[in-house]
Amino acid sequence: MGVRDFDLIQGTLDLLVLKCLGTGANHGYGIALRIHQLSEDALRIEEGSLYPALYRMEEQGLIESEWGVTENNRRAKFYSLTRKGRSVADAELDSWLRLSKAVTRVLRALEQGA
Amino acid sequence: MPLRSPRFLRRIIAVFRWNVQDADMDQEMAFHIDAMTREYVRAGMSEADAARAARKRFGNVRRHKEAGHDVRTAHLDQLLGDLKSGVRQLVHARGFASVALITLALGIGVNAAVFAVVKSVLLDALPYPDADRLVRISGGAATQAGTLGPLSAGTVSDIGERQRSFTSLAAFTALPLEATYGSESGPQVTTITWVEPQFFDTLGVAARLGRTFRQDDAINGLVPLSGGLAAQETGGRVVLSHRAWTRLFASDPNVIGRDARVNSVTRTIIGVLPDGFVAPMGQVDFFLAFDRAPVVANPITARRSQWLGLIGRLKPGISQDAGAREVERIWSELVREYAADNGSLTMRAMPLRTSMVGDTRAPLLVLMASASLVLLITCANLAASLLSRALSRKKEFAVRAALGAGTSRLVRQLLTESTVLAAIGGVAGMLLAIVALDRISDLAKGALPVYAEPSLDWGAILATSALALCTGVLFGLAPALSVSRSETQRTLRDESRGSSEGRHSRRLRGTLVAAQLALCVSLLVGAGLLTRSLWAMTGASLGFEPANVLTGIVTLSPRNYRDPQLWLQFRQQFEERIRALPGVESVATATSLPTAVRQRMGVSPEGTPATEAQPFVLSTVVSDDYFRTLRIPLQQGRTFGAQDRPDSPRVVVVSEGMARRFWPNGNAIGSRLRLGPDLDSPLVEVVGIVGDVRNDRARRDAEPMAYATTRQIPVPIITFMVRTKGDPLAVVKPIERELAGLDRGLPLQQVMTLPARLGDGLTGRRLPVLLMTAFGMLALLLATVGVYSLFASMTASREREFGVRMALGSRPGAIAALVLRQGIGWIAGGLVMGAFGIVIVARLVRDLLYQVSPFDPMTVAVSIAILVTCATLALLIPVRRATRVDAAVALRAQ
Repeated sequence: MGVRDFDLIQGTLDLLVLKCLGTGANHGYGIALRIHQLSEDALRIEEGSLYPALYRMEEQGLIESEWGVTENNRRAKFYSLTRKGRSVADAELDSWLRLSKAVTRVLRALEQGA
Repeated sequence: MPLRSPRFLRRIIAVFRWNVQDADMDQEMAFHIDAMTREYVRAGMSEADAARAARKRFGNVRRHKEAGHDVRTAHLDQLLGDLKSGVRQLVHARGFASVALITLALGIGVNAAVFAVVKSVLLDALPYPDADRLVRISGGAATQAGTLGPLSAGTVSDIGERQRSFTSLAAFTALPLEATYGSESGPQVTTITWVEPQFFDTLGVAARLGRTFRQDDAINGLVPLSGGLAAQETGGRVVLSHRAWTRLFASDPNVIGRDARVNSVTRTIIGVLPDGFVAPMGQVDFFLAFDRAPVVANPITARRSQWLGLIGRLKPGISQDAGAREVERIWSELVREYAADNGSLTMRAMPLRTSMVGDTRAPLLVLMASASLVLLITCANLAASLLSRALSRKKEFAVRAALGAGTSRLVRQLLTESTVLAAIGGVAGMLLAIVALDRISDLAKGALPVYAEPSLDWGAILATSALALCTGVLFGLAPALSVSRSETQRTLRDESRGSSEGRHSRRLRGTLVAAQLALCVSLLVGAGLLTRSLWAMTGASLGFEPANVLTGIVTLSPRNYRDPQLWLQFRQQFEERIRALPGVESVATATSLPTAVRQRMGVSPEGTPATEAQPFVLSTVVSDDYFRTLRIPLQQGRTFGAQDRPDSPRVVVVSEGMARRFWPNGNAIGSRLRLGPDLDSPLVEVVGIVGDVRNDRARRDAEPMAYATTRQIPVPIITFMVRTKGDPLAVVKPIERELAGLDRGLPLQQVMTLPARLGDGLTGRRLPVLLMTAFGMLALLLATVGVYSLFASMTASREREFGVRMALGSRPGAIAALVLRQGIGWIAGGLVMGAFGIVIVARLVRDLLYQVSPFDPMTVAVSIAILVTCATLALLIPVRRATRVDAAVALRAQ
């Protein structure tokens, strides 16, 4: 099932983008594509929210951008993590894991109890 | 990590790079769509279908871009929003805004203007290199303490031989002389000074064109004559000041080597001084060089005639103090060795700057202090009004905090508002400063040292604005900060229940107002003391009647009037012609005007041993009608007349004070004495005693004065005084015609009425009085506004309380008493604090006072009365309002 309008919890998109850039610089399309693939087609990032998120995080100093060339020899804007962005990503990931574990635990207990 | 500019800078740049940013996003999104298209093609779609699908999938490019822009300029929008709301708030609160703006503008403007003047005099560098090492050495009679009296040529030579502290010393004629310059368009009055050749080297000033003097430029023959300084006018080479070069020679670049006729002698121009150079003795047009040696060689002129000023440059490493100590030591030797010559004289050394600042220092410091008081009042006033404004907005802040605005957001908004206020107030203040400086410079013209060129100091303006603002913001911010989230609920509840302002903040505001009153009363007392001094100075009799007297000067050129007999002749003809004019009551001539006598002569009553030091008296040479024209009363004996011929025994008329001092037994008439340095000179007889004339207006006692007659001592400089029946200025044209009838080449100089001339001499005294009074008024205005705004907002915030009281049966009188009691308490507190201020101000202005005690009860009482009256009036408006509260309306208002 392709979840197109999956409503990401606020901040989750940022976390996904940051972690995605953690493995190396990438352009907007590449980021969207990668998340789509890794989620096994479950997550589809809206372009309308991806770019504002990228610009906002650039304003906040979490990522920085530079024009570069893709493998196919095409000009694209590459985003990469700043030092600040890296530490924010780690902290966010931590709290996300704790939250999702807790939510899963609760849901699973309720399921079994029922 | 690459070096990046600070984020806020990038943000600002980003705004201006909108187009670049826009293109950037276009490209970025085009790439995205393109990449997707190829993905679809790979999945098997046709090229056209793939492109369409990709575009559809990506969505509205323009909307995405707009969202991007919004993200990037969010901070800017917020700033603009704050600015807008700041301006809106100020426009909305017009009363508050205008009070704050006027306060700011006045405080900043006044301070900037006064600081510009003070800085130009006390802080700006003198126009000489290494000016800290320059020293002025002055002398004069012991009675002349505090003025830059002249030295004798012998003393100058002695200092030169005995000193070890100076690399060079240079003497100059202590007072600039007037001379006529014969230009093509007619004679012009100019100023000349004789200097020793090393004068400019000592100051460290090089010529802009040509050169300054060398030793062989000096001519020997400059001789001080009794009855005024005069010279054998043979100096053949002159150096021009920059002013003379532009004014008289139209900045001719080839002026070197040209001829200049000064005092009818043709001289050669050898140099032009740089722009901005001002000689220590004042503005001078022509400098001439003289040689001291012949003067020292003559025993009569060597040590008994004081006419020279002296400057020196200290050797490196020698302090001003050490130099002064050495000069002092040399002087004590000279007093011992030449007791008869130097016994009644003094000598002292001081930094050249001190000598040039002169007696403007004390008034300027008083002015600066007064301006600072105005600034303090400004700060207090601004603080109080911002505080009361913030208090009245407490509820607004609470509501906003409740709706989710963070403390930092509120603080930022307040800061923006204050900055808007400061920017407008600062600009207004600057404009005011420009106008004020113009006025002050006008007023101070002639009272400031010659080198002073007041100009606005932007640093000072910024610092003043920042200070005023910081005070204000600190007080305005406090209430906003206190509305933190935890308190929001209470504030909201509090306000709606209608309680009054907290005791704590009310006390703070009261203290601010009391402080303003205290500063204000100090300023008023200072202004009052100075005003009374000036009244005493101008009101006290000078010993003559200046009203309806016209004065002017004619200088006979030495070339055309060589023979003293010609001087006498010219003088008599000139007097006769003026006397015959209609409207002229009487006419007199003299070497100088009353109150402007500069010549002092040693006096030895007959029988005094020659070894005894001569006491000095003022001396002037006057014509027969001098006493009648100026209405100086004859006390005893006679004045001068036809019987006093050049060949008859010399006579003098003495002042009452001189008669008392030298002949205490009342036998002055008929006594004989010697005047001047020459001990072999003939004895002169006292033939009359006239009333005292105060030569120095700032001193209450009259210095002893001796009058000789123009019939026996001819002088080539003719100062005339004409008493008229009507307007003195009406006879100026006729006098000019008569002068031209006698000699076309002589200009009429310094024509003025005597009262105007006397007023000129008080410019330096009038300046601090005028300005301090203006500052006092300003302070009064600010403090009154302060009292009003405090109580207006206080009663407004208590309206509900008053309403409740009225509803419970309180009478309007009781409520008025309640507010009044509080107001009078703060006013009294202000006066108590003011007592300290008065003590400080009295100490500050003590040196400028004349016949007024620093704690003059009258002045203090009047100042307090004025302040209390204004404060009470300001208080009555809110009181009236408080008593008119309609209980029903006030209670319903919530």
